[in-house]
Amino acid sequence: MSRLEAKKPSSCKSEPLTSERVRATLCVLKGILTSSYGPSGRLKQVHNGLGGCVCTTSHSSALLSNLPVTHPILKILTTSMQNHVSCFSDCGLFTAILCCNLIENLQRTGLTPTTVIKLNQQLLRLCTSYLKSESCGCRILVDFSRPQTLLCLVRSIVTSKPASMLTREETDHISALVLRAFLLTIPDNAKDRLILGKSIIVPLKGQRVLDSSVFPGILLEMSEVQLMKILPIKKSDAFKVALFCASLSGDLSDTGEGTVVVSSRVSLENAALEQLLNLGRQLVSDHVDLVMCQKVIHPSLKQFLHMHRVIAVDRVGVAVMEPLSKVTGTPPIGSLGSISPSSYGSVKDLCPAKFGFKHFLHLIPNEATICSLLLCSRNDTAWDELKLTCQTALHALQLTIKEPSVLLGGGCTETHLAAYIRHKICNEPESILKDDGCTQTELQLITEAFCSALESVAGSLEHDGGEVLTDMKYGHFWSTQAESPSVVNWPDLLSRCGCGLYNSQEELHWSFLKTTRHPFAPQTCLPHEATGSANNLTLDCFTAKLSGLQVAVETANLILDLSYIIEDKN
Amino acid sequence: MVMACRVINKRRHMGLQQLSSFAGTGRTFLGPLKSSKFIIDAECHESVLISSTVRLLESLDLTSAVGQLLNEAVQAQNNTYKTGTSTLLFLVGAWSSAAEECLHLGVPISLIVSAMSEGLTSCIEEVVSLQVPIHNVFDHIDSTKTFSGLETFSGSLCPFLQIPSDTGLQKEHDLKDVASPSLTIYNLSGIPVKSPKLFRPQAEVEADKNTLQNPQTLKNSLLTGNHYRKSILIHSRHLNRTDNNQWINKPDGFLEQHGAASPHTYRCNDLVELEMGLSHGDHNSMKLVDEAVRLQYQNASMRQGSCTMPFRFDVSRLFTCCLPGVPEAFSCVCPGFVTVVSISNSALIRELQNQPLRIILIEGDLTEYYRHLGFNKATNINTVLESMKVQDSSEELWTNYVLQVLIKFHVNLVLVQGNVSEHLIEKCIHNKRLVLGAVNSSVMQAFAEASGAVQVTYITQVNENCVGSGVYVTFWRSIPSDVMDRINIITIVIKIEGINLATVVLTSPVTAQMQSKEDRFWTCASRLYYALKEQQVFLGGGAVEFLCLSHLQILAEQSLSKRNHICSGWLHNTSSWLASSLALYRSTVLKCLANGWHKYLSTLIYNTANCSSEFEASTFIQQHLQNATDSGSPSSYILNEYSKLNSGIFNSGISNKLEQIPSIYDVVIPKIEAWRRALDLVLLVLQTDSEIITGLGHTRLNSQETEGFLFL
Repeated sequence: MSRLEAKKPSSCKSEPLTSERVRATLCVLKGILTSSYGPSGRLKQVHNGLGGCVCTTSHSSALLSNLPVTHPILKILTTSMQNHVSCFSDCGLFTAILCCNLIENLQRTGLTPTTVIKLNQQLLRLCTSYLKSESCGCRILVDFSRPQTLLCLVRSIVTSKPASMLTREETDHISALVLRAFLLTIPDNAKDRLILGKSIIVPLKGQRVLDSSVFPGILLEMSEVQLMKILPIKKSDAFKVALFCASLSGDLSDTGEGTVVVSSRVSLENAALEQLLNLGRQLVSDHVDLVMCQKVIHPSLKQFLHMHRVIAVDRVGVAVMEPLSKVTGTPPIGSLGSISPSSYGSVKDLCPAKFGFKHFLHLIPNEATICSLLLCSRNDTAWDELKLTCQTALHALQLTIKEPSVLLGGGCTETHLAAYIRHKICNEPESILKDDGCTQTELQLITEAFCSALESVAGSLEHDGGEVLTDMKYGHFWSTQAESPSVVNWPDLLSRCGCGLYNSQEELHWSFLKTTRHPFAPQTCLPHEATGSANNLTLDCFTAKLSGLQVAVETANLILDLSYIIEDKN
Repeated sequence: MVMACRVINKRRHMGLQQLSSFAGTGRTFLGPLKSSKFIIDAECHESVLISSTVRLLESLDLTSAVGQLLNEAVQAQNNTYKTGTSTLLFLVGAWSSAAEECLHLGVPISLIVSAMSEGLTSCIEEVVSLQVPIHNVFDHIDSTKTFSGLETFSGSLCPFLQIPSDTGLQKEHDLKDVASPSLTIYNLSGIPVKSPKLFRPQAEVEADKNTLQNPQTLKNSLLTGNHYRKSILIHSRHLNRTDNNQWINKPDGFLEQHGAASPHTYRCNDLVELEMGLSHGDHNSMKLVDEAVRLQYQNASMRQGSCTMPFRFDVSRLFTCCLPGVPEAFSCVCPGFVTVVSISNSALIRELQNQPLRIILIEGDLTEYYRHLGFNKATNINTVLESMKVQDSSEELWTNYVLQVLIKFHVNLVLVQGNVSEHLIEKCIHNKRLVLGAVNSSVMQAFAEASGAVQVTYITQVNENCVGSGVYVTFWRSIPSDVMDRINIITIVIKIEGINLATVVLTSPVTAQMQSKEDRFWTCASRLYYALKEQQVFLGGGAVEFLCLSHLQILAEQSLSKRNHICSGWLHNTSSWLASSLALYRSTVLKCLANGWHKYLSTLIYNTANCSSEFEASTFIQQHLQNATDSGSPSSYILNEYSKLNSGIFNSGISNKLEQIPSIYDVVIPKIEAWRRALDLVLLVLQTDSEIITGLGHTRLNSQETEGFLFL
C-alpha cells in the first residue's frame, strides 16, 4: 500500500534582512570571523561533537567550509566567500568581515536598496581605480631582483595564523622555505608564456618545524620494507619510466551490470594476471627501469618486474600524478592494451631518502618545475594550519608574479583607502553624482557606511582591548593600549604603523579611528626609497585583496537587494 | 544541519580548566616511582591496572574537544619517542594553570603566548649547559662489566664517571679514602671482578630493589641534614670538582672544568653508567635492554668482521614475547625469535629440531580467499560446474595446492604476517610442516635478511629464489619445564646463523602487570636508543628543570629592570601596541611559567621520596632556588652542589653505604619536545575562544548543554 502525502506549500518571506533572527545569526557569524582575524586572532575548535577530529583553526577556508549554515542569506554569504578563497586562497576573512560590516552599516542607513547598490558600486569603482592607479599610496611595486618584498609577503601570511604555533626562528625558516619552493617552480628558460610548476607539500608530522626543507623533484613516501626491496638502485644516466594511472592489481572491476557466468575450469583471475604479466614482459623488453602506478600493482607482477631488475612503485596516489607526469615528461598510461614506445618518460636520478621516521624515494628530474616541500610540525593541529598557510602563501606568490604589486598590510590599506574615499567624496562629489540622480546627503551617508565598514575591518585586528588610531598624514593604522592617559605624548606611546612603513617620530597627528575626523587627503605616491629600505613590512597579496574587496561589495549588494525568500518545504 | 557555537572564553577559560583537570589525573606518574592505578568500569565491573600516562589516557573518556587535543599530543609524543609522556601531561596541567593565572592578572592573551613561548625557548637554550656528551660507549663493551653485574654490586659510583681516566684530574678524585671493591670495577674496567649472575632468587632481586632506592635517600640527607629519609631529586646527579676549579659554560654548551692544565669537556663513555642513569629506577627493564644491546653489538661485530661501520642500536630488531604467569626472574633476552605455540605442535617441533629447515615468508594472510590490498573482487560472477563429477571442496583443493608447493620446495617452516587458515595449519602439522601466523613485520624482515628468503604475497609466487634456508627450530627451555607446564604453553625459538633479531622474553607472575612491564621495557629501550642516537644526554632527575626554574626567575627579575627585550613570534615584527607593552607583562608571565616548573619539581620530589607533603618539598626547592639565585649562576650552583655532595661522601663516616649513588641521565630531544608539545597545547587552547560543533541537530544537545550555545 502506498501512502500519498500532500505537498506542503512553499513558504515565502518578504524583507528577509529585517528579521530579528537573521540579524542575530549574521551577528554571530560576524563575531566568529572578526575574532579570528589577524595574527593575534582567536582560534576556533571545529568538531562534530561525536568524537570526530578536532580542527583548531583561524583560517577562513577551514572555517567557512566547516560552517553548515542553515539560513539562505548566510548561505549566500559563505558560498561566495568560499568561492573567493578557492580562487585566491588569501584574504578570505577580510572579505567576509567586510561583507558583514557593509550589510550591517548600509542597512542602518535606511535608504532604498537601489540607491545603496548604485552608490556602493560607484565607491567600489573609485577604490579599484585608485588601487590600480600609479598614484596609489598603499601599493608597492614588486622588484623581483630583490627578494625582500616577496619574503615580507610570505612572512606576513605565515604570521597571520597563530594556530601554526611558530616561534620567530621557525617563522623565518618556513618563510624562506616557501619562497624557495616557489622559486623552484619557475622555469629557467621561459619563452613567451610562463607556465609555473607545482610545489608538493609532503607531510612529516611529529618532527620539529626546523627540520622542514625543500627538494627539487618528487618525494614518494614508501614503507621501509618496500624501499628495501627496490634497493640497491643500479646507476644509470637516465631512468626510463612507465607511469600508469590504470590499476595493475589484476582485478576485474569493469564487468558491468548483470551477471557473468563462468565455467569452473576458467579462472578469470589467472587470465587477468596473465595479461598483466604480458604487459610486464613488454616493459622488460622495452628496457623500462622504473614502473610507477597510481593504484596497486599485483604482487606477482611486482615480483616479475623485480626479478628483471625493474623498480616497481605502486599506490603513489592521485595527488602526485600530475606532478609525476610533469617530472617524467609523459602522460600517464590509462590502459593495459597497446603501449607504444613513446609513452615512456624519464627521470635523471633516483635515490632513497629518510626523514624522521619516513622513508622516501626521491625522483630527481632532468629539468622540471616541480619541487617537494617537506613540512614538519610537532602536532597534527599545528601541521594542518601550517599546511593551509603555506599553500596560501605559495598561491599568493603565484598571483604576485602575474600582477607584480603588493598592498600594505596590517590594516593600513583599509584606513588609507577609507581616508582617500572620504576626502574624494567630500571634495568632488559631482564626479559620482553627475548622472545618478542621487542626492548629496545620500552619497554622504553611503560613503560613511562604506568607509567605516573598511575601517572596522582594520579595527578587527585588535583583540586585546587596545585602541586603534589613524594618522592625519598618511591615513595609516596605529594601535595603542586602552585607557591611555588623557594627555599623551603619542610619538612615545606609538612605535610604528600597522604595516611598519612609518615611524611615530615623524611629525604626525593622530585621531581615534572611531571618532569623526575632518576629511583629509592622505599622502599618495609612496616614496620609492621608503619601500626599498624597509625590511620588515607587513604586506598583503594585491590580487587577492582587490578581488576580496570586489566580492565583499558585490555580495553585500546582492544580499541587500533580496526582497523575498521562497523556500520549498518538502 | 545546524551549527552550534559555544563561547568558551567568557569569564573563566573552560578549555584551560579542562586541561588542568585532565592532567591532574596523571600526577602520580611523574618520576621514577610511579604508583599504579586501577581503572574500573562501573558498568561491566572490569578493571585494568595501569601505570603509565598513555594507558591512563586510553582509559579516560576524552571525547571533549580539549580532551581529544590532549590525547593527540600525548599519543604523538608516545608514538615518536615512547618516553616523556608523563612530563608532557604534568606540564600541560601546570602550565594551563599558569596561563589561567596570567588571565586573572589581566595579561592580554597574545602576550601570554609570546612571553611563554619566549620563556621556554630561553630555557631550552639555557639547559644546553647541562648536556653531557656520550663518547665511544661501545669501546669497552667487551669487558665483563655488565648491567646485571653492576646491580649485584650496586656500586655505580657516578661522581667519577664524568672524568676520563686519562687526565691529570683523575688524581684529585682518586678514591683513596674509600676502598671498596666496586670502585675497582670502574677504574679497572675490563678486569672481571665477579661474574654476573643472570638469574637470582626472587628474594635477592627484591633486596636489590630496596637498596636501589637508598642512594637518593642518602644524597638527600647530605644536602638537607635534618631531612634524613627524604630525597632531593634535583641533586641526584653529580659532577665532581675540586675547590680550586671553576665551572664555566662554554659557548658550545658543554661543561668544562678550568684549573687543569687544559680545559676539557666532560663525557659519558661507559655504557653501563649510561644505562644506569637512563633507567630511572627501573633496573629490571634496563637490565634487559643492556643484554639486548650487547647481543646486537656482538652480532654486528661478528657480521662485519673487519669492516668498521659504527654500531647502531636498532630498536626495530627487538621483539618482545610476554609470558604471563611465569616468575619475574625468568625475564631474559635471547637471540632469534621466541614465540608461544599451541601444545598440539610439540610432536612436530620434536621432529623438526636439530636440522636445518627451509623457510618461506608470506606477507598478508595465508587463506584461500585472501587477496592483496587494492584488489576488488567482482561481485557479479557466478561460477558453474560443467560436469556432475564429485569434486573436493575448493578449500580442500587450495589446501592441497599449498601443501604441494611446500613439498615441492622442501619447505618446513612458513612465517605468515597475517592470519592462516586453521585447516591448513592442521594439515601441515600432519605433514611435518610448521606454519606460524601473525608474525611481526620486523621479524619477517630479519628472517628475510638472514635466510635469503624473499617475502611474497601469494603461495603461487613461491619459486626457488623465494625460499630461505638454514633455519633451526627448537624448544625454548630457559624456563624450567615445571613452570611452563603449569601455564600449559610451549615456547619455541626459531634461529638462524647471523640473524639480527633478539627476543626479549618478559615474564610476570601477575597477568595484570604484563602490559605495563612491556611498556616499561620499551620506554627504557627507547631512552637508550635516543641517547645513543643523539650522542648526548642531560643530567637528569630534575637538574634541567631546576635550571629552567631558576633561569626563568632570573629572567623575570631582569625584565623588570631592562625593557628592551626582543620579542618572539609574530610580535617581534609587528607594530601593535602589544609589542611595546610586552615588557610590562613579561615578568608576570615568566613567573607563572616558572611556577609550573616549581610544581613539577615539588611533585617529583614528593612522588619519589618520603616527603610528608608537597609543601615541604616546595619549601625545600625554594631554599635552593634562593641559593642558586644568590650565587649568580644557577648552572654553576647546581654543579657546585654536586661537588659538595661528593666531598660530603668522602668525609662522612657512612661512606660504606654511599657507594650506590648512580648518576641519573635524561634523553635530550624527547624531553625538550615533550616540553614544547605541552606548551603548544596549552597555548593553542588558551587562544581558542569558541567551539564550533558542526552537523549537530538541536535535539542531540541535551538541555543543560544547550546553555551557552548559539545556533546558526
